[in-house]
Amino acid sequence: MTTADHIAPSTDTLVSARHLSVRYGRKTAVDDVSFSIPKGRVVGLLGHNGAGKTTLMKALVGLAEPAGELSVLGLHPQRDRVALLQGACYIPDVAILPRWARVSELITLMGRLHPRFSAERARQLLARTSVGLGDKVKSLSKGMVAQAHLALVASIDARLMILDEPTLGLDVLSRKAFYEMLIDEWCDGERSVLVSTHQVEEVESLLSDVLMLNEGKLVLSISLEEVDRRFVALSHDPAVAEQMAAAHPLLKYRVQGGSAALFDGEPPPHVQALGRRVRPSLVDLFVALTRKPELDRQHF
Amino acid sequence: MKNLLPLMLREWLQYRFAWALLVLVPLALSLLLLSVGTIQLDDEMTAMAPQQLSLMVAVLSMLITATVLLMLLGTTSLFTALGSPRRDHGDRSVEFWLSLPSGHAESLLAPLLVHLLLVPAAALVVGYLAALPISLVTVGRVTGVGEWFALPWGQILPALGALLLRALAGLPLAVLWLLPLVLAAMMANALFRRWGLPVLGVGLILLAQGLERLFGQPVLADTLGALLVNAATSLAGAAGQALTSEQGSMPLEALPALPAWALRDLAAAYANMAQPLMAGALLVSAGLFAALVAWRRRGASAG
Repeated sequence: MTTADHIAPSTDTLVSARHLSVRYGRKTAVDDVSFSIPKGRVVGLLGHNGAGKTTLMKALVGLAEPAGELSVLGLHPQRDRVALLQGACYIPDVAILPRWARVSELITLMGRLHPRFSAERARQLLARTSVGLGDKVKSLSKGMVAQAHLALVASIDARLMILDEPTLGLDVLSRKAFYEMLIDEWCDGERSVLVSTHQVEEVESLLSDVLMLNEGKLVLSISLEEVDRRFVALSHDPAVAEQMAAAHPLLKYRVQGGSAALFDGEPPPHVQALGRRVRPSLVDLFVALTRKPELDRQHF
Repeated sequence: MKNLLPLMLREWLQYRFAWALLVLVPLALSLLLLSVGTIQLDDEMTAMAPQQLSLMVAVLSMLITATVLLMLLGTTSLFTALGSPRRDHGDRSVEFWLSLPSGHAESLLAPLLVHLLLVPAAALVVGYLAALPISLVTVGRVTGVGEWFALPWGQILPALGALLLRALAGLPLAVLWLLPLVLAAMMANALFRRWGLPVLGVGLILLAQGLERLFGQPVLADTLGALLVNAATSLAGAAGQALTSEQGSMPLEALPALPAWALRDLAAAYANMAQPLMAGALLVSAGLFAALVAWRRRGASAG
C-alpha cells in the first residue's frame, strides 16, 4: 500500500498538497495527504462514502479550512477563494442548479458573475443537449440538470475542473452523455479534471491518474500506466488457490471461469507460473486497498 | 464587491414575477371594487363643495394607494430578506452559488440592498404612479369623472411628488434604524431555521423583562421602541408637525406648503441620526453582519 505518493511530476503543477488535513471538531476527515496534479491530467478520486472525498474537494476550492500546505493554481484556496474560482470550476453535486431559474437566466447570471464565462459557448454546448434555453430548471430531469450544469461550467475558460459525484443517481445514458461532453468539449490536454465517483468502471477509460482515499488517508496516488506496471493480477485455477494465498496477494477474487489474485509488485516466478497474467481493474485495486472498513463491518 | 450588481440581478430574476403580482393584483382588485362597490363618505365630506370633495378624495386615495403598496411590498420584501441566509438550502442550490467566484459578504449584502432599499423605493414610485388611476375611479364614482380632470393637477402632483421624494430620501435612514433588528432576525433564522423569529422574539421579551425586573431599567424595551419610532419618522413626521397644521385643514390650502414641510421634515430626520443610539445601532449591525459572514463561511465548509 502506498501513501503520499505523487502523480507524474511536472513543471506546471495545478494542485499541490503537502501534509494536508481537514478536521471537523474531533473528527479527522482528511488525514495528512500529499499529492499533486499537473496540467493535462484526468484524475479520479476514489473512496468509500465518508472517506473524505467531498471534504478534500471543498478544501481545494476554499470551502473547507485545511491544515498543512495547499496551493491550487498557485493560490491559497481559502484566502483567495474568489480569485481561485475564476480559474477553477467546480460542480459540487448533481442537480443543484436553482430550481426557480430558467437556463437562459443562469447563462445571464454566470456571464455577469464569472469573468471567464462565455455565454456563446454555453449556448453552443446546450444546443447539443435536449435542454432548451427557456426551460426552467425545475422542469428538467436530473440528467438534464447535470448536462445543463456541465454545459455552463464547461463554458468557463478554466484550467482545472473539480467534479464531486457529478453523475450520482443518473441513468446510464445520462452518465455517458455527461462524460462524453466533458472529454469532448473541455479536456484539451492542458486543462486538468479531478472527478470523484462511485462508478469506477465507467470512468476508468477516461482517467490518466487515480487518487484513492480510505478513512481520510491517501492510500494510492498513481498514474494508470504505473498501475499496469506496478500491480499484477494472476488468473488461476481454483486448485492452486492455496499456493497463491501463500504468496500474500493484496486481494483474492473471482473472475469468469476461475479465481484471481492481485499483487503489489511482481510475484515470485514460481507463483507467476501458476496463473495467467491479466490486467488489474481499478475496481479490484480499489477493493484491495480500501476493503478494511468492509471487513470491519462484518464483525458487527 | 464587484459582483454586487450581478447578485442583485439574481434577486430581480428570482422575484420579479412575485413583485409584479404583488403590485398588479391589489391594484386590479382595488379598481374592480371601487368600480362596482359602494363608496361611503362621512358627514363632513358630504358637506363639502364638489371641487373640495374631489380634491380630498383624490389626495386621500393617492396617499392610501401608495401607503398600501409600500406596506405590502415592504413587508413581503422584509420577510424575504430575513430568510435570505437560508433560502438556497431548500433546493441545495447554495452549493451552486458557493461554486461561483463571489464573496460571502457581497452574497449576503445583495439581497439586503434589494429587499430593504430598492423594493420599498420602487413600491413608493409605483404607488405614486398607480395612485392616478385609483384616484380617477374613486373621484369618478364620488363626484364624476369630469371633476377628476378639473382638479388642479399642477398643484397636486408636485405636492405629492415632494412627499414621495421625502419618503425616498428617508428610506435609507429607516433601514439603518431597523438594521440591528433585521440582521438579528437574519442571524436567528440562519441558526434556528423556521424557529428563528419565535426564538428571537421570545428571547428579546425575556431579556427585556429580566432587565426591567432585575435592575428596574426598561432599557431594552425603550431601545427597541426608539429604533422602531425613529425608523417610522425617518419616512415621515420626523419634525413632529402634522402635514396641514400650518396652512389649515383643507387639502387645497395645505398643498402648496407640502414641499417646504417635506424638506424640513427630511432635515429633522437626518438631524435625528446624530445620537448615540444610531452609533450603537451601527456597531451592533456591523457585528451581526460579520457574524452572518462567518456563519456562511463556516456553513460552506461544513461536511
